Order: sequence, then structure tokens, then C-alpha cells
Amino acid sequence: MIQVEPRTILRFLLEHFEPIHELYEIQVGNGVINHEVLDEILARNENHIKSQLLDYKILSPVNSDFEIRTVYYNLIEFILSEFKPMLPETIEKYHTSIAELFRKIREQLNGDKVILNNRLSELANEIRAFYEMVEKNTLSLLNETRELKANVKKIDYREKIVRASRWIDEYIIPLNKILDINHSASIANKLYDISEYSNKYRLNFDEESSRILFEKLYFQLIQVNDNLLRQSKILTNELLPLIERIRTESIILTGWITFLKNPYKRKVPRILKRKEISVYSASTFFNAAEIFEQFKNDTDVYFEDEQNDDEKWIFDKEHYTEKLRSNLPVKDFFNWCNKTLKEEYKKVEIEKFFALTTLAFDEDIEREFDPKADFEKIKINDLTITVPKITINKHGIS
Amino acid sequence: MEFPNHHRQIVEDLMSGKFVLPQERSFQVLKENEQSYTYFFKASFNYELKLTQDYAYLISDESNEMLSRDMCIFIALLSYELDRDGKNFLERIQFSEFEIEEIENYFTNSSYIDLILSNKQLKDTDSRKNFINTLNRRNIIEKTADNRFSFTSAHKFFMDFASDIVKYETAEKDE
Repeated sequence: MIQVEPRTILRFLLEHFEPIHELYEIQVGNGVINHEVLDEILARNENHIKSQLLDYKILSPVNSDFEIRTVYYNLIEFILSEFKPMLPETIEKYHTSIAELFRKIREQLNGDKVILNNRLSELANEIRAFYEMVEKNTLSLLNETRELKANVKKIDYREKIVRASRWIDEYIIPLNKILDINHSASIANKLYDISEYSNKYRLNFDEESSRILFEKLYFQLIQVNDNLLRQSKILTNELLPLIERIRTESIILTGWITFLKNPYKRKVPRILKRKEISVYSASTFFNAAEIFEQFKNDTDVYFEDEQNDDEKWIFDKEHYTEKLRSNLPVKDFFNWCNKTLKEEYKKVEIEKFFALTTLAFDEDIEREFDPKADFEKIKINDLTITVPKITINKHGIS
Repeated sequence: MEFPNHHRQIVEDLMSGKFVLPQERSFQVLKENEQSYTYFFKASFNYELKLTQDYAYLISDESNEMLSRDMCIFIALLSYELDRDGKNFLERIQFSEFEIEEIENYFTNSSYIDLILSNKQLKDTDSRKNFINTLNRRNIIEKTADNRFSFTSAHKFFMDFASDIVKYETAEKDE
């Protein structure tokens, strides 16, 4: 029992806030306040308030050391806005208490109205406490993350990776699960069910005092659900990308710093070797040398005018017409052409042969041609030509 | 036999060691025909096609290791110096332009100066200019003016390499 007026305690807190704040910081860091540290802090502040701290139940002894009582600790934490992120397991406990209260309200809806009203009030308190804890946690995670981003404490990259990973895996993702309304096992989902339930009974319940409490619960839940949605958005849209970025950046930078320690001894990613058709190739030197070698021996080169020994052959139509006429009848015209030319020249050019064959088109000639007969092959120099067998019986009027 | 549109462009770019980027029309064609192109490059040249959402490129057993190493050193140094200068190096590399002068400042005042001076492609202003042109030819950067450039999404290829260094080291420690 505290034997002192509330105002006195508040005035005491106000007057001695400096050493109390210092003690709070010690407890945040170490969990407890060592009795020597307590004496040292109080002596430094020229305060002899130890007995009051104990009488007003601000401090409580823990073995030989001390700690600030939870109610004062929370008050100082709240007014300083210096929350430490809580593990989601701590927040998860509200799931059980809220679910249990809700179950009993449903089961004993028509039971003792006083108990029902107490349960409704308790449920509202638990929901409020749950929301405040979520809000505190989001805020503290944001602060921690921003501090990590600014890296005021100059912690090294590896430690940054560890911290960022810890925030993500142990705090943010589990907290997000608690707030995920689409997840059937989440607290947010449970609150949604309670909201539906209270909405039904705020309008339709015999007992007026319970109806009022259902109504209060319903409006509280509208507010809480909105706020939780906002917290969830902060987590997914701001906090998670921010801390993911810190983690990625720190991993990459740590990788580069490790690489730069010994860049020539590490395996590097494979980059395609360009294969271009180059003007210069491995054999260019030898090709060029070969060309230049050709010009090395500077001997005189003489060019002589080409003399054409072959006289231009002119087809003497009259001569060959006469020859044809004298050989009539010619049974195989093309063979005759070949034979005639061979008699006159050592070598028969194809031009001469074709010239001679034009005789067959002479209007005065009478030709015979058996379309069923086989074609014949005539060899002129290297060329073999396939020709039909044409018989010439008559020329002109003879 | 019918080839997809931009087939020639795709083959020419990839075979010349370029990163094909998502904003190029040929990237979409590659995505749509990933399986056939993977088979095509494997069967024709024994190259492996790597296609991510940020880039496409070819991997061969025959690698230009020296160039790859110099690229890693260049990006590593730039990342380190940007961070030392209080910049968000990843954001800057991802989203903003660099002036050659800024790069010069970082490299000439770097604490890794010994490493820089011993590297043929990074040792002085002229070498670095040539090297930046090489990065441009490979589509790792895009020159926006004669003295300005920005990194393309292909830079992620190298960032992934840096992440892997840490991951492998952590995995080795865990074993």
C-alpha cells in the first residue's frame, strides 16, 4: 500500500526525472539496475531519493539489485516513445485471451448478464491492449529500421545483414501474419468475426446494458480494424521493402568488399568471348608476307602482243551446197556434215559444224525425217551432240 | 523453316556478347521462344542461354575472364565509393545517371588506388573512357551523352555475383 498522495508521486517524478530517466536507460540496456550503479547515479545527481524510490514503489529490489516496476517502466517508455520491438510471440498471447473471451460470450450469451457485461468490457480492454502493442511495435520497428538505414552507430555490413534479417524473419513477417485478415488463424481475422457478432447483438439483444456494450465493442472494432489495416500497410509497403533493401545492399556491398580484398584470385562470372570476323586474323601476317614476297624479286617482265594465228573462218555456203549436191542422196545429214569437215580440217570446231548444218534449212532442199527413229550421237572434239537422222534426197530441181 | 521476328538481331547481339534488355523488342521474342532459343544456341554453338526478367545473355565455356574481372572491379569500386560517400549505391546505380567526371573523382581519390593503377583497363582517364565504351557495347551501361551514362538492368548480373560471394561464404561457414 502506498502511503502517499498521488500528486506527491507525480510531483516527485517531475522533480527527479533526470536520474529516473538515467535509471530507465540502464534497465533498458542491462535488464536490471546494479545497486552500485544506482548509488553512483543518485550521488552524481546529488539526490538522496533512494528511500522514496522504494517507498513510492517506483523501484523494487531484485536480490541485491533493483528494477523499475512495470507500470512506471511503461509510463516512461510511453512518454519517451522509446519502444523496443516485441517478439510477435508476446503479441500472440492476445489471440488466446481474445478468442477465449469471445468463445465464452457466445456460449453463455443468455446466462448471467453481469458476467456477460464484464466479459464484454474485458474483451474491449484486451482488444485495446492488443492494438496498442501492435502500434508500439510497428513504430519501434520503423525507428529501428530507419536507424539501421542511416547507420548512425556505424555498424559493419555483416552485422547490418544479421540485424535486417532478424527484423524481417523474427518480427516483421510474423507480425504481418497476425495482422493478415485473410489468414484464418490471425488475430485480425478473429477481430473481424467479433465485429460481425457484436454488430448483430448491438441491435438485437434484450438486455439494454449488454446492447450498449455490444455497440461500444462494435464501434471500437471498426476503429481498430481500420488502424490494424493501416499498420499492416506500413509493414508491407514501407517497412518490409525498406529493410529488404538494407539487407540486399549490405549483402552486395559485403560481397564487393570481400571480392576487392583479392580480385585476381576469385572466380568471376562467365562473359561471352566475342567472336567477330576481323580484318586482322591470326593468319593475316602470313597472308600478307606471301603477297609481299611475290614482289620481292624485282625481275623485268616483258609482255608480247598476242598474235592470232588462226585466220577467221568464213562459211562458204556455195562451196558446201555444191558438195552436198554432188553427194546426194545423203542418208544422214549431220553425219555428212561432220565427215565433210573432217576431210577438210584437222580439227573441227563446233562453230564450223553449226554453220554447215544451216544447209538443212535451205528452201531448195527436200528433207526426210522419221520421227520414230532413234537419235544419233556425234562427237565433235570434246563435245557430244545428239541429233536426229535427216535424209536429204533432192536439192533444187535436180 | 520459319524463324521468329528479329531472329537475326537476337543472334547477332547475343553472339557479340551483348546483354539483351527487356526494353528491346528482341527480348520479348526471346521470352516467347525461350525453349527453342535455348535449344538453338546449345545445339549450334554449345552456348547456354540465360534469360532472366532483367536481361538475356549467352554463357560459353570459353569466357572472357579478364574483361569480366575488370567489370567486377569497376562496379565493386563504384559501389564501395558511393556508399563511402553516403549515397545509396544500389539506388544510384539502378536509377540515376553518372557523369564521367564523377567517376573520375571516385577513382582518382579511391583508397583502392593501387588496385586501380595496376589494372590496364582502369588505370587512367583514357583507359577508363575506353572501358566505359566497352561496357556500353555490351549493354551494361547506356551512354546518354558523350560524358554521361546510366546503368542498364544488366548491372544486376554483377550484383547477383556479389551476393553469391556472401551466400557461398556463409554456406561454407555453416558446413
